[in-house]
Amino acid sequence: MSKVAWLPGSLFDNIDKFANSLGYQNAAIAIELAQQSWESPEDRNAFIYAITGEDIQGATESNYPIRNLRR
Amino acid sequence: MAGNENSGGYRPTAPQNNPANVSATGGAGGSGTQAPTYIPGMKSLGSTGVETMAQQGAAPMAGAPQAPIFSKELGSLLDPTNNPNEPVTAGVDAGPGPGSDVLPKNINANTRPDENKMIVQKYLPTLLAAANLPDTPDSYKRFINYLLEQQ
Repeated sequence: MSKVAWLPGSLFDNIDKFANSLGYQNAAIAIELAQQSWESPEDRNAFIYAITGEDIQGATESNYPIRNLRR
Repeated sequence: MAGNENSGGYRPTAPQNNPANVSATGGAGGSGTQAPTYIPGMKSLGSTGVETMAQQGAAPMAGAPQAPIFSKELGSLLDPTNNPNEPVTAGVDAGPGPGSDVLPKNINANTRPDENKMIVQKYLPTLLAAANLPDTPDSYKRFINYLLEQQ
């Protein structure tokens, strides 16, 4: 599980983006939206931008740890 | 009392107890015509209210057409908009378009705290497990901490 949890577009990545972009007070809708089958992270981000009019919040891909899968 | 043995009580074979018998015109069961209405003060016109009701029943007037609630089939969340001239933020107090003041009063209630509580109870164990992974971003952890505080 830990090897896929924070890949862009994963469920938890979606939750992170929606919750931080829509606001924690909208947790329920954020989690529901995170479970939609988004075609790509860009598609998801475009949707968030369309409804918030602001940049996507949450961890950026540059924050993701660099993995050594052979480890 | 030697009455008809079929009278009274629940009759499972009666048409009203057959679940297959559903109204063809919808849940209201309307026939598409107006029901007879008693009209008082008909004597001055040479009739009575009862007679007028009987005449209405014999030749009912057509009822008002019932518009369906949704004029077309509902699409999915990811379908293109049916209202391209309306901003997606119409009805929300943010972004372009009218704010929440244009919404009907009965959908203005703030149900978010209850919804949040329900969703947290449902998903918190899974969300918490992800928060405890060694490479979980701080932004996600902050969100989970917020959910824990709301419990």
